[in-house]
Amino acid sequence: MRLPQWARQPLVHFLIGGAILFGWFAWTGTPVDPASRTIAIDRDVVGNISSGYQQQMGRAPSDTELDALIERYVREEVLYREALRLGLDQDDAVVRRRMAQKMDLIAGSQAEVAAPSDEDLESWLADHPARFAQDIRYSFDQIFFVERSTADLALKSGDLASKLETEAKKIDLPQGVSDMPRQEILSRFGQQFARELDQLEAGDEWQGPIPSGLGWHVVRLREVSGGKLPELAEVRQKVEDDWRLGTAELRKQEAYQLLRDAYSVEIER
Amino acid sequence: MAKSFVKSAWIGVAALALSACGGEDADRRSGDGERTIELAEFPDRPYWGDTHLHTDNSVDAFGFGVRLGPEAALRFARGEEVTATTGGSAQLARPLDFLVISDHSDALGATRALFDAPRLAIVAMGDETVLRWYDMMHESPEQSQLAIAELITAAGNGTAPESLSDPEQQVERTRDVWNTHLETLDRFNEPGVFTAIAGFEYSLMPGGNNLHRVVMFRDGSDRTSQTVPYPGLTTTAEGLWDYMSAYAEATGGQALAIPHNSNLSNGLMFELTMPDGSPMTAEYARKRAAAEPVVEVTQIKGDSETHSFLSPNDEYAGFGDTGWELGNLPLTQAATDDMRAGSYVRDALKRGLTLEEQIGVNPYAFGMIGSTDSHTSLATGDEDNFWGKHSGNEPANQQRALLPQNLGTRLGRFGWNYLAGGYAAAWARGNTRAEIFDAFKRREVYATTGPRMVVRMFGGFGFADSDWDNDWVRKGYESGVPMGGELADSGTAPSFMISAQKDPDGANLDRVQIVKGWVDTEGNARERIYDVVWSDMEKRTKLGGKVPAVGDTVDREKATYTNDIGAAQLRAVWSDPDYVEGQRAFYYVRVLEIPTPRWTLFDAVRFGIELSDDAKADAVAQERAYSSPIWLKPAVAKALEAQ
Repeated sequence: MRLPQWARQPLVHFLIGGAILFGWFAWTGTPVDPASRTIAIDRDVVGNISSGYQQQMGRAPSDTELDALIERYVREEVLYREALRLGLDQDDAVVRRRMAQKMDLIAGSQAEVAAPSDEDLESWLADHPARFAQDIRYSFDQIFFVERSTADLALKSGDLASKLETEAKKIDLPQGVSDMPRQEILSRFGQQFARELDQLEAGDEWQGPIPSGLGWHVVRLREVSGGKLPELAEVRQKVEDDWRLGTAELRKQEAYQLLRDAYSVEIER
Repeated sequence: MAKSFVKSAWIGVAALALSACGGEDADRRSGDGERTIELAEFPDRPYWGDTHLHTDNSVDAFGFGVRLGPEAALRFARGEEVTATTGGSAQLARPLDFLVISDHSDALGATRALFDAPRLAIVAMGDETVLRWYDMMHESPEQSQLAIAELITAAGNGTAPESLSDPEQQVERTRDVWNTHLETLDRFNEPGVFTAIAGFEYSLMPGGNNLHRVVMFRDGSDRTSQTVPYPGLTTTAEGLWDYMSAYAEATGGQALAIPHNSNLSNGLMFELTMPDGSPMTAEYARKRAAAEPVVEVTQIKGDSETHSFLSPNDEYAGFGDTGWELGNLPLTQAATDDMRAGSYVRDALKRGLTLEEQIGVNPYAFGMIGSTDSHTSLATGDEDNFWGKHSGNEPANQQRALLPQNLGTRLGRFGWNYLAGGYAAAWARGNTRAEIFDAFKRREVYATTGPRMVVRMFGGFGFADSDWDNDWVRKGYESGVPMGGELADSGTAPSFMISAQKDPDGANLDRVQIVKGWVDTEGNARERIYDVVWSDMEKRTKLGGKVPAVGDTVDREKATYTNDIGAAQLRAVWSDPDYVEGQRAFYYVRVLEIPTPRWTLFDAVRFGIELSDDAKADAVAQERAYSSPIWLKPAVAKALEAQ
């Protein structure tokens, strides 16, 4: 099911989100009432303290450690409420910064939800072809020779079968490969061989010899496939992931801009 | 509570929306990769990776100036072009197959947060040291690097400000950074093509003595998000192992730890005793062996294979030791000869045999890998593509080879002491998180100082030269064990099938050696180096028991070499001529390339700078590979009889 266009606008998401936040706070009041002098440590709180410790240290706290952690929590809570009572949350750069960071995080995860349109992704795909083109794949047989002259001779004589037994075994490379991606050819045969292979036409004939960093290769290039830029439908998810990653900062900025636009800022100079 | 509810509700909505559009492809990438691709019958090729890379989430890397994050690091590792922090386009000639981003768990993301904070907020913290560092970070890149050097020294001395060292104070930020990071990894993880592995660096450093480990996970974010990186500055290694087994128990996942830079530990990395000096217990040894199957033997901050003091009869010992051998990490304590055995890997392997004789468990039965430890987000170990240890010595700093580079004092160590860094090669059946991790776990991995040589080793009884004519890999797996394996003594000398192929884009090979360590009848740990096979054997005959040097084709004026000497491939079946029944032993392969220019010589030519005499003498080297060992253990029946 596709949502109508208006429902996919970040602005709409923000308005709905704002309404939920407003409703929540209107219903519950401010989360910590500075006037209250009752601190309730329920099981949820103890569970949170305990699992926080476990995640960090890899084991559950002992009873003594848990008591100390709870005492620390209580101390923090008492001081926090007293600080609120004194209005220390106002005009404090650290508190201000931390709250802004939290809001930024929320805005950031909001930006994560934004769904790109097909047009967005089409142009992303077109702008970054190297990231999405299928790796070229090669199918070929090859016979290895230490010396070029022996390779030339063998190719001329047409007696390559016997060389499979003698020359080719002097190197640990596969004699026949099917659909090997270019990346693997780079890794196993090296850059020089890969460049030479790019120049050959596929067919039934033995060709070459072509050099690698290891020696000489007589090659029968059976097939070359891939290398095309796929249709968006085939790689949609990958393109969307890449788009998401590549535009995260930009979209966070856009999300901020929506909030920012609702403010009028006057700066006296 | 209400506030956090609202926040989690929002994030819940976000997660829901994301999972709705995820689907099958997202599942493939976010798990451990099992059952996602077709696997080979046997490991058929080495997969290349770096398990030790820092990004701008590392407290020191950011301070040193890097502004590239995990995303750029992953793009670079899989072969894309990125712009380095100090400018210039960086790219690998050949992509890597896997990457572990290992940012320091202590103060994860903290310097970036510190840097971004308004100055007023730092003033409000009331910590003068932090404020001074803050100001230095904003003053200039040089000042920023000094600030971080001070921070590392303070961490080593246990005097780091609480706001940076207390894990309780950081847990929330750590969790934010970690979860974001795990999501990024999943997006780049592509079974069969590129593997993005979760990990972190555990930075235990008592008195500045480096006991760092890289921790890597087998799992995807479904499991790794249930934990957060374990802090190093305030804990012990045993605490780390407990954390790892608690993780495994809670999630069904797996983690392993890779010690590194033992060369900067002043003898503490591989002790014969418990950390408190009491005799090592079997339980402690067992825990360590289970948690740490592999060590990182070579990286930018030097090579830890062995030291000339420990291996006076090894003419190729001491590679990458210059500068680093002087002392611990910040050079606050000098190293002495009695510390060496606890600082280098070959002696640790020997100590492992000795300890096994005494307590029945070998705590140091590990395999070997190389990595970079680059703090630039750029995982490259190539001499002609060296992007520096950190952003302060990226190529934009043309004098980097000559400048003092030591942390803290800036004395004693120079830019040219840095190696270009190494790589980890893993023999796996396919390129997934599970397959790569399992190769590490069974130690079927090896180290190189940068070149991508293909090194294979099988141990068994009765291998023969005629095995090369047939499917020798199958034979190796079916009637022997690969590197990292163990053999039970059968009463005859073990034999080894060894094959080394040059990097197809690199230099020819000089020789293949076996390094054997064993415990003799008097209970002393011993070592011996055997030249097994070398290029042009008919011409290079042994003189006084030694194979003559291969020669040197390096043109010092142009930073070039030729492959007119050396061999493309070397193979041999080797049987131990000094085998004694019942002795514990290990055997690993060392492969040497012909001499080639180091990054310093490339710098000298490229930037037209004159190297110092010391640096010039060190500007050409024989790069190498170290296989994981194969261990020979007394047969179980015989051991029982003896009791």
